[in-house]
Amino acid sequence: MTADFTRRAMLATTAALTMTLALTHASPAQADFPDRSITLVIPFAAGGSTDLVGRVVAERMSQDLGQQVIVQNVGGAGGSLGATQVAEAEPDGYTILMGTVATHALNPLILKQKPYDPVADFAPVSLLVLVPNVLAVHPDVPADTVQELIDLAKAEPLAYASSGNGTPLHLSGELFKSMAGVDITHIPYKGSGPALTDVLGKQVPIIFDNLPSASGHVSSGKLKALGVTTAERSPAFPDVPAIGETLPGYETYSWNALFAPAGTPPEVVTRLADAAKAAMADPKVAEQMATFSATIVASDPAALAEHVAAEMAKWEPVVKGANVSMD
Amino acid sequence: MEFLSNLALGFSVASSLENLTFCLIGVLLGTLIGVLPGIGATATIAMLLPITFQLEPVSSLIMLAGIYYGAQYGGSTTAILINMPGESSSAVTAIDGYQMARKGRAGIALAVAAIGSFFAGTVSTFLVALFAPLLTTVALKFGSAEYFSLMVLGLIMSVALAHGSVLKALAMVVLGLLLGMVGSDIYDGTPRFTMGITAYADGLNFVAVAVGVFGIAEILRNLEDEHDRQVLTSHVGRLWPTREDFRAIVGPVLRGTGLGSVLGILPGGGAILASFASYTVEKKLSKNPGEFGHGAIAGVAGPESANNAGAQTSFIPLLTLGIPANPVMALMIGAMIIQGIVPGPNVASEQPGLFWGIIASMWIGNLMLVVLNLPLIGLWVKLLKVPYFILFPIIMAMCSIGVYSVASNTWDLYAVAFFGLLGYVMGKLRFEPAPLLLGFVLGPLLEEHLRRALILSRGDAATFINRPISLTLLLLAVGVLVLVFLPAIRKSRDEVFTESEG
Repeated sequence: MTADFTRRAMLATTAALTMTLALTHASPAQADFPDRSITLVIPFAAGGSTDLVGRVVAERMSQDLGQQVIVQNVGGAGGSLGATQVAEAEPDGYTILMGTVATHALNPLILKQKPYDPVADFAPVSLLVLVPNVLAVHPDVPADTVQELIDLAKAEPLAYASSGNGTPLHLSGELFKSMAGVDITHIPYKGSGPALTDVLGKQVPIIFDNLPSASGHVSSGKLKALGVTTAERSPAFPDVPAIGETLPGYETYSWNALFAPAGTPPEVVTRLADAAKAAMADPKVAEQMATFSATIVASDPAALAEHVAAEMAKWEPVVKGANVSMD
Repeated sequence: MEFLSNLALGFSVASSLENLTFCLIGVLLGTLIGVLPGIGATATIAMLLPITFQLEPVSSLIMLAGIYYGAQYGGSTTAILINMPGESSSAVTAIDGYQMARKGRAGIALAVAAIGSFFAGTVSTFLVALFAPLLTTVALKFGSAEYFSLMVLGLIMSVALAHGSVLKALAMVVLGLLLGMVGSDIYDGTPRFTMGITAYADGLNFVAVAVGVFGIAEILRNLEDEHDRQVLTSHVGRLWPTREDFRAIVGPVLRGTGLGSVLGILPGGGAILASFASYTVEKKLSKNPGEFGHGAIAGVAGPESANNAGAQTSFIPLLTLGIPANPVMALMIGAMIIQGIVPGPNVASEQPGLFWGIIASMWIGNLMLVVLNLPLIGLWVKLLKVPYFILFPIIMAMCSIGVYSVASNTWDLYAVAFFGLLGYVMGKLRFEPAPLLLGFVLGPLLEEHLRRALILSRGDAATFINRPISLTLLLLAVGVLVLVFLPAIRKSRDEVFTESEG
């Protein structure tokens, strides 16, 4: 505890000092940004979709910035640990975060004790990609459309699997339940993998999953996709309707965006946003993003700020309605 | 025979000069990181992922797979030589392997580990090729009720078979179960026993606990006892096992291979479970169970074969279903996606060269490992000759770096220190760390599956006996209990986890 306190105090002091320095000697230092390697904190364990997007982007941004962008996985507490680390880092642009819908909309709404403020503690850099989620069922489930599933859920008790309590997939399911007016039991897992296993093995009939992780099973027919969660159909699966076609207004997706700590000089933020934009414009990166079924946005900082505000506003009633909260 | 033509295709892909080179790089790197305590395959593969973008998909996956099973080999080396399990699955090897090293049989222990691993690797490679589709169906039949019953059987076998200080073994299992409770409740997110530290919200890190109770505790014990500095046995003894040694390891290797192959398919720490299970079985079947904990060769051969077989067969759910059995497999999926291959049941039919090439490369990699490691043993044992005012700090630093690299979490390091002290105190009081680790591994799984099975059955506990596989496992568990408490058998009960005298 004490050690942590002193570290925070030290960080705060350093941060204050740097800010003073930055104010007095404004731009010369920033003109050379970056003059050393940049750490991109990924707030999840290696191997997930956020990690993949992060590693592809980091690789390409390194070329543009002329400095290595090093990926550091700081997993734990649903992304809160990594996000907190960046929120408390020096605001110089050398420590940035691969934020997600979890770190910048859901966790702050769900957690009773808020380790960071998603708006006040961060300088938005760029909204990189949107990733659709999918509602899928085991092929034996007697429902071929979203409407048939809703009818089935009204007739008999059903359960759906998600990657965990309070994850975007769980809340996509909760939003679905409240809009369709049905009750389906939520079964949380530790990640998408085990949840998928149980649905493929017919232990649980329904799953809400990221489209990239479920897509292989959908194309091979081991899972029946009933709807994607985005407002529009996904180009990867033009035959799968959007859930919104049955439940007007239903729209959820996961997203990945770069954030720097609040107080990072605007020139540095712009430089990072430009590098991100250049990375996402690379056809090779675009090709890789397409394999994750991710839609490229590559926004500017202001658009990301608006996006975060919109997402918080959208999820707040869902989180309250589903009565999800964590300490 | 479709199987043979598939394997032939695989070998033709895997034996191209380029792929052989990447396989060699992978296994060398894997052995190296396995030897460094704490630096795991997960961290290494994650760091290498970006480099693999430039490679052919099959080469990059062959290299990454090589790192994974190379690390399994290397991990046992440090477990035997300095009582530091380099990989969590070699924690069990440390028990008897290190005792063998202390008795001057380090060379034989290392050779037995290598031979057992190679045999298990060979068998399970063919199992993967032959049975992948079939085994996957079996794994899918395992729902939460079945997993729960399997864990119950595992715990009962390990505890009920113990005797002597049964109480101490039980206490350690229970402490392990409790430690496994640390972290967020996965069903409602309530933090438990985290003392308000967010860094423990996902539970204690297994590597941190294992390195603490085995490794750090060992260093403390050695520092304390000036006259009995045994961490560094100066003589390694002969390398090649004798005829008797071979006779003694045939059974354990065969049984370990079988156990490992089956458990490896199940998602969630299959290889770790396999090594624990094999150790328990060997001790149960041994004619001199008292030897276990004091350098029983079967205690090295069985678990080593089991964890290598498990490492191999954990590729089955990955390759056939696209489902990761452990974090390393999750990274492999990442590597596949980056290469534009969507993991899943289609990989075998759409990319037969890739699918069978990886399988064939596993066997080639295992061969490389045994050829490399037998001569390298000489090099590794030179470690033993390094004076320990140099070696101890290096080991401590390596452990810390390794543990930190898992999640960049400072609190994991505090956990290493705490469990190092706990392990030291436990050693003084003659409590064994192995049952504690078993409880720690099984506890969270036991709870997760118990609760999920009950949610799915809407609170009906009959689900455990209505499902045939679950019922069978529970009946086996009851059978074990009955056997143990029959007086006649009670006499011949063996010590399973009570290898005191440290």
